[in-house]
Amino acid sequence: MKKRVLAGFFLSLSLMLSACSGGGGTAAPGEQAKPQEGQAAAAKTELVVAAEQEPVGYDPHKVPAASSVRVYALIYDSLTKLDENMNIVPNLAEKWEVSPDGKTVTMFLHKGVKFHNGKDMTADDVKFTFERIMNPDTGSIAKSYFSSVESIEVKDPTTIVFKLKNADAAFIANTASAYASIVPSGSTDLTKEAIGTGPFKMEKAEPGQYVLLKKNPDYFNKDLPKVETIKFQIMKDEAERLAAIRSGKIDISVVSADSAKLLEGKPGVQVKNYQSLEYSYLGINVNKKPFDNPKVREAISYAVDRNQIVQTVWKGEAALTGPIAPALTNWALDTASYPTYKTDVEKAKQLLAEAGFPNGFETQIETAATYPDMVETAQVIQQQLKAIGINAKINQLEWGNYIEVWKSKDMNLMVGRNTSGVDADRSMRFFFSTTGSANVWNYSNPAYDELVAKALATVDQAERKKLYEQAQTMLVADAPNLFLASPKNYYAVRDNIDFTPTAAGEVYSLIKTAIK
Amino acid sequence: MGSYLIKRVASLIPILFGISVLVFTILHLVPGDPASIMLGTNATPEAIAALHKSMGLDQPLYTQYLHWIGGMLQGNFGVSVHTGEEILPQILKRFSITLQLTLFGVLIGWALAIPFGILSAVRAHSKTDIIVRVATLLGISVPNFAIGTLLLLGFSLYFNWFPPIDVVSFWEDPVEAFKVFILPAVTMGIVVAAGVMRMTRSAFLETMDKDFIRTARAKGNSQWTVVMGHAFRNSSIPIVTIAGMQIGYLLGGSVIVEQLFSIPGLGQYILEGIYQRDYPVVQGGVLFVALVFVLVNLLIDLIYTWIDPRIKY
Repeated sequence: MKKRVLAGFFLSLSLMLSACSGGGGTAAPGEQAKPQEGQAAAAKTELVVAAEQEPVGYDPHKVPAASSVRVYALIYDSLTKLDENMNIVPNLAEKWEVSPDGKTVTMFLHKGVKFHNGKDMTADDVKFTFERIMNPDTGSIAKSYFSSVESIEVKDPTTIVFKLKNADAAFIANTASAYASIVPSGSTDLTKEAIGTGPFKMEKAEPGQYVLLKKNPDYFNKDLPKVETIKFQIMKDEAERLAAIRSGKIDISVVSADSAKLLEGKPGVQVKNYQSLEYSYLGINVNKKPFDNPKVREAISYAVDRNQIVQTVWKGEAALTGPIAPALTNWALDTASYPTYKTDVEKAKQLLAEAGFPNGFETQIETAATYPDMVETAQVIQQQLKAIGINAKINQLEWGNYIEVWKSKDMNLMVGRNTSGVDADRSMRFFFSTTGSANVWNYSNPAYDELVAKALATVDQAERKKLYEQAQTMLVADAPNLFLASPKNYYAVRDNIDFTPTAAGEVYSLIKTAIK
Repeated sequence: MGSYLIKRVASLIPILFGISVLVFTILHLVPGDPASIMLGTNATPEAIAALHKSMGLDQPLYTQYLHWIGGMLQGNFGVSVHTGEEILPQILKRFSITLQLTLFGVLIGWALAIPFGILSAVRAHSKTDIIVRVATLLGISVPNFAIGTLLLLGFSLYFNWFPPIDVVSFWEDPVEAFKVFILPAVTMGIVVAAGVMRMTRSAFLETMDKDFIRTARAKGNSQWTVVMGHAFRNSSIPIVTIAGMQIGYLLGGSVIVEQLFSIPGLGQYILEGIYQRDYPVVQGGVLFVALVFVLVNLLIDLIYTWIDPRIKY
């Protein structure tokens, strides 16, 4: 009897479940269609943005991860910001004055700005913020941006004075960084609470699922933001994001160049792109033999066909780049002026022979397995170097391991990506001066160091531009890195969303985004 | 039985201790460091050092281990080095999601596998049998991320249907939860079904050849009574074994499906922890999965005694 009951139970369960699993899918579309129509009737006020990675904390001074920045940059404001033409424009500071010797910067703050907890934002908060950034114990990413600051004085609640050790032409631009977001004075643990003055407030963060931001009704720019809530929906899989944007579950998603092609002309979705501030590079360790010989580096530079990388890796959707990404139009030199950008295999072979390697040599290229474009870039370069007798083995590293190798300063060749930042100083000094934190290539050239130091201390912008042009030419000729391509970034956007991405960053666009 | 249980539970302690040492060692041997990963390739050495200190990674390894295991013994799983949030509540919350997904997937798998497995054994070498075996082969061969992607894209393209993206539990809102979990569970279920179907078929084939089945037929019982009344229970030991193992593996191994459908389960939590080298998260998560795994095995062993009274501990 018991067996009978058991058997009956199993069978009925089977039938029930088969029916469910078969019927679930077909019944669902009808059910789903209803709320969508309903949504159209009631005005939609929530913007849903796909997040490819989960944020790893919201402390703007400590967390550089892009997945976090895109969220906390909506919660906090910095003193200045970039507009779509990459110009520095007022933000919390409504204007500023620089003394003739360039050593004193006075910032005048907006009046009546409040933090999300209702507290007034004053010069004390700004002073606290910068002292927190400059305190070595904080471990702030932006500390190196403000190494020229000697002291900070609060003149009155809306006036703050930065005294600099030396003229620092990049200072104002660096205050536009999200890493220099203004936090309330007395903040200790920003991982737990995110309270800023920004256009959105942190409403709820559900780990692994979403981050929900709500409009700040007291935002100091009365016309913005234009949506009630923004929800960052964590979706790690590209296929899932594509399916979700096509079925209208999400409004905005970053997509790869390949996916962008798939989405072209599909109903309900538009693909938008912009020239990013990122560029890919081939790093060369100038301490390692044979790369310590400038002729070898020059040979590699002639052998690598950057246009082929643009075509193969980026499907033609990228621009050639020098040490400064071309989107930074105020600073970037036209790549046509670099002789080594004209691929010349014969000349490369001759240079290698002069350097004592008529038959080439064996070497290794490190690359990050996490990023398909980096792997493909390494593969294209591997092929191109074969033509001059250099046999490079490719090492695909997992991201954590990749960072370790990058830090070690002991690699041979390494494919990577940099972000140009907002001012030429970062692209040039931070990455390539002898003492630059991110100079892991052991490149040390006193003439170059002098040029970029002089450019940093030059307040006259036209003069500065000339110095940086010289520095860019020098860097490309010395080739501690080969600068390859600056890709376009793609967004898939639903038709009813008015969102225009620019190199100024996603945050800048999201604040202005409206739902039609 | 009671003493057996006590013995089994006591034997868990060295196992879990061994796993804790193993996980800790392997994790710290892997190149990569949480502070550097967090700061990326634009970090200054001093920023990394400061972060190290605040993460407690400047201590010698054995100190770190003792500190961690000491906390664990008091039920304190510690906090994530990245976000500073408590780990245990996260593990429990995500485990509940993974458990729901796994059980739903296993149920769908069984619901497909057991009836069809029996059918193909009873009608061995018929057309039905061949169809079922080909389907099984497909289910085993096609990787689950491919099945999942096809389901997702298929439904969104042809029916304009996409599962709800906010995950809810079955006890909060069964209908919504069903919609959330159905595609990932079917994805899992297909893989589960293939394994169970094979096992069911071979177990039944073996049983159907036994003398007592011939006796049952000779007594004039119908096919249904013979199969369900006599063969079923005698064939179920290997089926239960494989099912138990599957539940164990799925609890830890649902990570691909979770990643694909953005289900914030335990597998995804641990995987993210590995990428970020969030040591306490991975250590706590793996230890938790190990504990569940051995407990499931214990449970399966106990179910044997209920299925087959001849098994005694």
